[in-house]
Amino acid sequence: MTPTVQIEGSVGRVILSGQFDFSAHREFRQVCESIITNPDIKEVLVDFQNVNYLDSSALGMLLLLKEKISAASKTLALVNCRDTVKQVLEIACFGKIFTIR
Amino acid sequence: MKILVVDDTEAILLLISRFVEALGHQAILARNGQEAIDVWRAERPDLVLMDVMMPIMSGPEAAVQIKAESGATWVPIVFVTGVGEENALADAIERGADDYINKPVNFRVLEAKLKAFGRTLDLNRKVREQSQTLADYYEHAEEEKRVVRHLMEQMVNSERLADPQFEYWLSPAESLSGDLIAAARTPGQALHILLADGIGHGLTAALNVLPLTQPFYSMTEKGYSISDILFEMNSKVRQVLPIGRFVCVALISIDEVGGTVEVWNGGMPPIQVLNAQGEVSRVCNSGNLPLGIVPSHSLDLVPERLYFKEPGFIVAYSDGLVEARNKQKAEFGLDALLATLAKSSKDSMIANVQAELSEFLAGEQHHDDVSLVVAQFGVDGLELNKAAPVETNVEKFEDISPQFSQTADCNWRYSLILSAQELRYLNTIPFMMSFVKEIKTLTHVQSDVFLILTELFVNALDHGLLLMDSKMKSDPDGMESYLAQRAERLANLQEGKIEIDLMGLKYKDSEVLKIRLKDSGLGFDWADTYNANDKSAIPSDSFGRGVTLVRALAMKVQYIGLGNEVEVYYMPPKAT
Repeated sequence: MTPTVQIEGSVGRVILSGQFDFSAHREFRQVCESIITNPDIKEVLVDFQNVNYLDSSALGMLLLLKEKISAASKTLALVNCRDTVKQVLEIACFGKIFTIR
Repeated sequence: MKILVVDDTEAILLLISRFVEALGHQAILARNGQEAIDVWRAERPDLVLMDVMMPIMSGPEAAVQIKAESGATWVPIVFVTGVGEENALADAIERGADDYINKPVNFRVLEAKLKAFGRTLDLNRKVREQSQTLADYYEHAEEEKRVVRHLMEQMVNSERLADPQFEYWLSPAESLSGDLIAAARTPGQALHILLADGIGHGLTAALNVLPLTQPFYSMTEKGYSISDILFEMNSKVRQVLPIGRFVCVALISIDEVGGTVEVWNGGMPPIQVLNAQGEVSRVCNSGNLPLGIVPSHSLDLVPERLYFKEPGFIVAYSDGLVEARNKQKAEFGLDALLATLAKSSKDSMIANVQAELSEFLAGEQHHDDVSLVVAQFGVDGLELNKAAPVETNVEKFEDISPQFSQTADCNWRYSLILSAQELRYLNTIPFMMSFVKEIKTLTHVQSDVFLILTELFVNALDHGLLLMDSKMKSDPDGMESYLAQRAERLANLQEGKIEIDLMGLKYKDSEVLKIRLKDSGLGFDWADTYNANDKSAIPSDSFGRGVTLVRALAMKVQYIGLGNEVEVYYMPPKAT
């Protein structure tokens, strides 16, 4: 999986695709790093449009991202979650700590 | 490079070796195959330049020997050949020689070839070093795994997992499991079962679940509720694990005496409650974040509660089971699991699921840890790990009571007074049990003492101070609203006091436990019914099975004054 970044004004969108699991962790971290250090970006969206699978280590990466984003005083939302992704997020009750749209 | 030059013609030998030295290498010499082997053994050169036809032993023969002895170290052997030696040369290359150069020697070509071999040798050395590092690393990792596995086995007490009330199955995806199953009983014999799934699998996942075991066992043993245990486990996980690491947890408490099952699900797949026929009667979905993400006080730790009148099963599993995929990438699925359970007898559930899954996977490995727990509830005559049955105390209390009527005669005494402030948050009984555990005459009857203390304390608090009405419990949803109201009244409790006295009274060569509990409430009219010493006289249901249970366990239960004070005499049965 290679995440791509789209920047529209103050919104940075991280578009993921395929399997989101531990194998993606290095690329995901690099992409997120670039967004966090970009002072123009105020809101970060993680786009799951093309993700068909998500495992628990992916949830861990999201938690890490959330931590870094709030440290940088930006906001974070998870968007375009399809059924399989939604299911995993629901079981983990991530709706309680993430904005999911 | 150190280069071995072999030739039986002195002139060529000299020529080649001088050239090699001129290129900055070190040359060592041999004049036939046998000598080449001897020199090679002594000097271990990096490369061999060798004539094909030689007396005593030919080049190809020597090459085979050198190759055989050099083992994993690569020694390039280059033949220097004359015209007409093509057959011998082809044969030699087939048997392991690396290259050849024609006579008369073209020094420009020889120089190029030596450079090429130098590069390959460097590469070869690097690969060998790296593979050595890798092998060391691998051994190191295996050793670490062995230690962690041992540690986990020690911490997950498998003795306690052998309990007739439940069956389990745990199959790790790697040599270490990130799934954890633990079970223990409270002093009141409620069964606590923990199923946890750490993030990922292998070593780090296994490390993730380790912090759970200690609070789980020690707090269960003291009689804490699962909410209290969860609070502590979450704090522990947050304390020891880095951000981004968490543990999904299902915690189940089955209380056969009280007829309740409590389930708390944080991030695990839905827990299934089956009836005796194996059909799903209720599903407990995950309603909570996994442990380790948010502080304990922001977690909702109130478990789902079931009141059972009929037997049934609780089924908890990790996602590794239902998501196990076969070659066609199909998932095993919840339906297959439930169908298998429904058609199994209660003793064959786990075995059947194992068989079905292995048939489904058809040799394919499951990619995540697989775990499954099936626990029974509401089963009569289940052989629980109860202390030896209480032998009827032959002596009448009235006959022996004068012997310890004076409190001065007690071996020990433990008194506690709690006011509203402490009662609001202190978990009194588990707290006192850590003392009871240390009293030698009581260690083997902790369960009885826990039950008596719990009942007396709950009565004093609920009815004495909080003025709760037990009649509420008989309504269909009564228990839920009873508990809700109780929690609210407790939170608002401003006044009131409970005194607890435990005394070890001397009696012949043994000890009788006297428990006195007094609350500052209004009491009740006990005079008619409650002090008849006939244990079969069960009071009306307003006092329910709690008091009946205490009466069954104790020698005597006596209410005093307004009814807000009670004395219980308990004689520990002889340990068997």
